[in-house]
Amino acid sequence: MLKRLALAGAVLGLMSAVAAAHGPSRQKVTETIEINAAPDKVWAVIGKFQDMGWHPAFAKTEGTGDNAPGATRKLTLASGGTIDEKLIKYDDAGKSMSYEITEVDVKVVPVTNYAATLSVKGEGDKSTVEWKGAFYRGYVNNDPPPELSDEAAVKAITGVFKDGLAALKTKVEGGK
Amino acid sequence: MKSTLAVAGCFVWLALLAPATAFSSEALVTNQVSDSLSFVDLVTMKSTAEIKIGGKSAGIALSPDKTKAYVTAPDGQELVEVDAVKREVTRRLKLGGGPLGIAAHPTKAEAYVADWYAHKVTIVDTEKLEKVAEIPVGQSPSGLAVTPDGTLLLSADRDSNQVSFIDLTKREVIATVPTGERPFGVTIDASGRLAYTANVASDDVTVIDIATRTVVGTVKVGHRPYAVEISAGYGFVTNQGEGTISVFQPGTGNIVKTIEACDHPEGIQRHDDLNAAIYIACWGDNVLLQLDPRALAITGKAAVGDGPRAFGKFLR
Repeated sequence: MLKRLALAGAVLGLMSAVAAAHGPSRQKVTETIEINAAPDKVWAVIGKFQDMGWHPAFAKTEGTGDNAPGATRKLTLASGGTIDEKLIKYDDAGKSMSYEITEVDVKVVPVTNYAATLSVKGEGDKSTVEWKGAFYRGYVNNDPPPELSDEAAVKAITGVFKDGLAALKTKVEGGK
Repeated sequence: MKSTLAVAGCFVWLALLAPATAFSSEALVTNQVSDSLSFVDLVTMKSTAEIKIGGKSAGIALSPDKTKAYVTAPDGQELVEVDAVKREVTRRLKLGGGPLGIAAHPTKAEAYVADWYAHKVTIVDTEKLEKVAEIPVGQSPSGLAVTPDGTLLLSADRDSNQVSFIDLTKREVIATVPTGERPFGVTIDASGRLAYTANVASDDVTVIDIATRTVVGTVKVGHRPYAVEISAGYGFVTNQGEGTISVFQPGTGNIVKTIEACDHPEGIQRHDDLNAAIYIACWGDNVLLQLDPRALAITGKAAVGDGPRAFGKFLR
């Protein structure tokens, strides 16, 4: 009986840890890509919070609130699993949006406390798209298993950013 | 001829300035991603040195004479002592757990380190550089602050939504005061009368009267506030989640202005000289900002290492 209580306590403790604490060091990923197109043209593709269709990893975007701060979206990955996100800041003139993950299973993306900013700069027919992510690893205590380590988190996000930006360049420069 | 005079004039001015301060006013900025400490000259707003720390430096406190810095390394689970004059790492102390928040006593050779994972505050004798006591507090203690008279240590217990009051003579918790959700930074004003916590999850600041140990106000600020500083009669809050600084009137709690700052503004401190200017570490943009607390405007910027946090007291 005592053992069972102790176990229940341990499970509860773990659950509260998942809800709150995070790894020791926040990780950072910044990826950029040059695109041979006007910034307006690039922003027209990526500047819609309710449409992540330009990124090959995401099969579906469903959400509410358009591009207003506080808007939410649920991304369904092509590989399965979902990510819930919330728009924090949206600057149409400055071509920048900042958003956060509000709910994701670390088995889908091995991160916690994730926030990102996607922006476009440039002039004439040249644009630079920057995607910046800030997050903690999937494991919230010391000594993480390899799949929930800092390295695993950085690798996963770097992959998402690189694949998305490469696909964006192809799509925009392809004239579609 | 003209340029010679200008140079000579400049030299005289520097010579006059030097003896008054003994060292040029500077910031010691912990860079967590590049795992280093940047030294920034606050008169020129230029980085003058960057040294390797090891263990992903995050929190910082200075000795009473400000010649030594104590830096927490959460990944290395260490406290790292830095000679701020020679600009070199001098000693290291293995603490274990998750050392993050840190504060130093205003007069004694003592530093206090919050353990994010083991839910305690460790007292370190900074002369011997060894642990002398451990005080259990609430869940995931984050920011720490010592009252100006050195009698009390306040711990923002992030996952217990409270501040623990620690009597530094008895070395035990004598009271807890509830805050908003997930208090991270805790700051005590210069008079030692009020404490302010930045509550990451409820997007507000809790104002605590230290003598009566009661909440006397709550100020709604920006998204995911990190830390608070008081200068020129205003409160300043770094909102890491939206890249702004909220400015409020401590008396009324009214927001006076929201200043666009940078990507993930975090550590914030007023310099006691330099017209009480405020300095802010920007984790996302790798810069230290200078803010004029009267004009309520950003007036300077210095490049630092990658992922600056400067969580604690980092100006000398």
